[in-house]
Amino acid sequence: MITQPYITNYLSEHYADDAYRELSGYEARGGFEGLRKAVQMEPADLVELVKSSGLRGRGGAGFSTGLKWSFMPSGNDRPKLFVCNADESEPGSFKDRLIMERGPHQMLEGILIGAWAVGASKTYIYIRGEYKVPTRRVEQAVKELYERGYLGQKILGKKGFDHDIVVHSGAGAYICGEETGLLESLEGKKGQPRKKPPFPAQYGAFGLPTTVNNVETFAHVPFIVARGLDWFLAIGTEKSPGTTLFGVSGQVERPGLFELPLGTPLGEIIDHAGGVRGGRALKGVIPGGMSMPILLPEDLDVRMAEEFLSERGTHLGTGGIMVMDETTCMVRVAAVTSYFFRDESCGQCTQCREGTGWIHKICERVEAGRGSPADLELLDDLPGLMEGQTICAFADAAAWPIQGLLRHFRADFEAHIAAQRCPFPESFEL
Amino acid sequence: MPTLTIDGTEYEVAEGRMILQAIDDLGLLMSGVDIPHYCWHPKLSIDGSCRMCQVEVEGMPKLQIACNTLVTDGMVVRTDVERVKKAQRGVMELLLINHPLDCPICDQAGECTLQDYAFDYGMPGARTEEPRRPAKKAMDLGPTIVFDQERCILCRRCVRFCREIPKTGELGVFARGDHSLLELFPGTELDNPYSMNVADICPVGALTTKDFRFKIRVWFLDDVESICNQCSNGCNIYASRSNNRIYRYLPRRNDSVNDTWICDHGRLSYQLIMENRLTEPRVSRRGTSYADAVRAAGDAVRAARESGGSIVGVASPFVGNEDLFVLKQLLEAVGAPAATFAVPRGESDELLVKTEKAPNASGARALGFEESDASPGAVAVALVLGHTLAEECLKGVETLILLDTENCSLAERADIVLPARSFAEKEGSFTNHAKRVQRFRPILEPTFEALSEGEILQRIGAAAGLTGWTASYDVHEVSKRLSETVAGFDGINLDSLDDQGCELA
Ligand SMILES: Cc1cc2nc3c(=O)[nH]c(=O)nc-3n(C[C@H](O)[C@H](O)[C@H](O)COP(=O)(O)O)c2cc1C
Ligand code: SF4
Ligand code: SF4
Ligand code: SF4
Ligand code: FES
Repeated sequence: MITQPYITNYLSEHYADDAYRELSGYEARGGFEGLRKAVQMEPADLVELVKSSGLRGRGGAGFSTGLKWSFMPSGNDRPKLFVCNADESEPGSFKDRLIMERGPHQMLEGILIGAWAVGASKTYIYIRGEYKVPTRRVEQAVKELYERGYLGQKILGKKGFDHDIVVHSGAGAYICGEETGLLESLEGKKGQPRKKPPFPAQYGAFGLPTTVNNVETFAHVPFIVARGLDWFLAIGTEKSPGTTLFGVSGQVERPGLFELPLGTPLGEIIDHAGGVRGGRALKGVIPGGMSMPILLPEDLDVRMAEEFLSERGTHLGTGGIMVMDETTCMVRVAAVTSYFFRDESCGQCTQCREGTGWIHKICERVEAGRGSPADLELLDDLPGLMEGQTICAFADAAAWPIQGLLRHFRADFEAHIAAQRCPFPESFEL
Repeated sequence: MPTLTIDGTEYEVAEGRMILQAIDDLGLLMSGVDIPHYCWHPKLSIDGSCRMCQVEVEGMPKLQIACNTLVTDGMVVRTDVERVKKAQRGVMELLLINHPLDCPICDQAGECTLQDYAFDYGMPGARTEEPRRPAKKAMDLGPTIVFDQERCILCRRCVRFCREIPKTGELGVFARGDHSLLELFPGTELDNPYSMNVADICPVGALTTKDFRFKIRVWFLDDVESICNQCSNGCNIYASRSNNRIYRYLPRRNDSVNDTWICDHGRLSYQLIMENRLTEPRVSRRGTSYADAVRAAGDAVRAARESGGSIVGVASPFVGNEDLFVLKQLLEAVGAPAATFAVPRGESDELLVKTEKAPNASGARALGFEESDASPGAVAVALVLGHTLAEECLKGVETLILLDTENCSLAERADIVLPARSFAEKEGSFTNHAKRVQRFRPILEPTFEALSEGEILQRIGAAAGLTGWTASYDVHEVSKRLSETVAGFDGINLDSLDDQGCELA
């Protein structure tokens, strides 16, 4: 189990310390200073502060957190809700797990600050079902908060500052991480994303105005409030301030999580992970979880922030970096990737339901040595039929990796078709 | 009112409507403005999943689904651009990769949106070589519906129907991705009073009704506008006929009456039309010619008038306004009191089904007839339409003249019996529970000698020698006279009514 990242910064500074996950230990190391400061502020000013901090959501889309909070209706005619998205199911991503296991109060303090800012009276924390330990730790932490009066009525003695937290276990579907799929699942329905409009800020969980944020997004908030804008804006890049927990997996010497400022060059992060395993050459790197298009060895100079990655035709996503060495068969990568998306598509939208299945069948066929040039044409074409045309971004997430693999590793596909077998005997097993 | 421009043509549309709704409101959807769609249905909640209705909206970078895009004033929409056509081709291709393409043995062929759109928006040929998703054939979903799962395109119209209309929720889509299958929830069957509507809204041949399945190819059918006669709701229907036979009823949309639905009982009632028909004119319980029976009835009326014997009329809530009007005139001409009528009653529900189990009780009331199931007592002649009044009430009748469609027990006892045409064999109008007058048209040719009640009464009046009465009968003329004489019917007659009917003043 990964309990300690090799590189730490403000989030993970005390993660090695078991006391930090308990309320007393958290408070002793500066915890809840942010909330104390926050409740001295007007809620609107607090939203403004988070907006000015430039904090971008860490759930994958990188949307401005302050701006999202500002979409919540003002006034108190209807209860407002927060949802903390702890469904973390993107292959290659495992950062939220560490936060919940080692610093659950960071996330909870962030939630409470947000609750004060937008006037939310309740938060549902939706945790991936397989995350047993994180769930236990979060439940324990919530219990402590109730015991110490950080949850319930009149928090920190503030009249009108009431908040409850409910921990909810997911039941094993990637699509329940998509925010409206999550809301359906939370309501006890099949986890299928909702059409938009209406957006969650108008019609969210149980029909109430709702803001959904990622675990890590919430975890940054107390630091921003406690330490101030100047401090935060000095970390990371101009457009993407702060750090993130980069998760490095795949064929590296020391896979793990590394907290580094956004904008850190990709090669440097891989170096922190000990470089490519066994001194082999690098073949490709997925920079932000399996949904994101792959990069080439010559892209190691790219700075890991959305504004730079999008110039290279890919995205930061969740910051889950997947490293593949020279033995890797990229058709196999396409086959496992497309298998995942075929299996996880919720199946509502025609293009996503049918496209993910078809792409997977084609990739398997090519990998098995039964592909034809027509299959390559289909793989060129099908992602374009899916992308940007569906209820949620899942179809994009299914289309982009295939497009990326074909863009950079067409030769691998052509070699399979020409030889009618897989020419990478040493590649990972399917 | 917001204006919406589609492919260069400007439309004024209602406030707060999605693009597809707005076009549908104007009656132009797929007949003037072609935005193909699968999951959207005018009477169900918006699903937004099939993605067939994508259009280009000026100012929006991505294509938008017309079914869930709110019209804003001045919105400019294009469907005639390559981007939209490509998206439509894409959806069609992907819908077809798991479709069995068994049109030659599919009941839906000829009225299948998948087939039609494949021609209009798809591409020729297929690029898939994979086997289809495994799915079941001919699953029995309940008493009325058979499901060919492999044909299902997962538009979820049937799922939403069951949840939203009868609120029974028997159906759901199970599993994920391309393993998704429409199924019954475990332990249920599709058994609700409106179940068969799912077959109408299914865009493909996945859901078929047991009564119609494999009976006939739809291109041999023609659909006649009519009205269900099983209760006073007067649901609008099409009767699909071929070879002088009705093969099915389909709901015909009328937003003021039945939206796009009918109940299963009404839907299957076409099977009752030819049941136990009265085919033989009789006088004194012996078969005779139609002319003889009419003459005998005329004689009985004349004799009663001459001897000062009382004449009464018993109307029926099953016959048309025009038939009732001739009865009214005849009774007035012989100085008889207004007719009475009895109405069979039964269960009702919140949706369509009404307690009055006849189509035209409101029409009888509007013509001044009184609802009563009391006996007329001892009378010389009773002109009786149908058999809604209990037989023993008519014991004191000296000469009972019965006009009926059904070979009921009253026909055994009646002195003069005249076979009447069913509503399916004649033209006319019914007035429903909400006083909406609605036209029905002839669907079938009678296979034996029978006339409408109106025409029979006209002939009886002529045979009785009533002043000004001739035997010639034209239902349109009668309807015109009705609208000129009866209060509330002003301007409402067979020639003025459109397919949606019109409420009485
Ligand atoms: C298919 C799919 C899966 C997603 N899974 C997750 C997830 O597991 N965790 C998460 O925080 N966000 C996930 N997201 C993103 C959420 O929809 C949402 O944008 C995010 O929770 C918002 O939080 P943020 O603004 O704090 O990033 C997913 C999105 C998609 C399209
Ligand atoms: S894009 Fe895929 S996952 Fe998202 S709603 Fe549509 S079918 Fe479901
Ligand atoms: S059975 Fe028909 S109506 Fe139901 S989901 Fe399938 S295609 Fe749609
Ligand atoms: S509700 Fe009444 S009128 Fe409508 S179909 Fe049923 S029986 Fe016929
Ligand atoms: S009709 Fe609009 S998405 Fe199906």
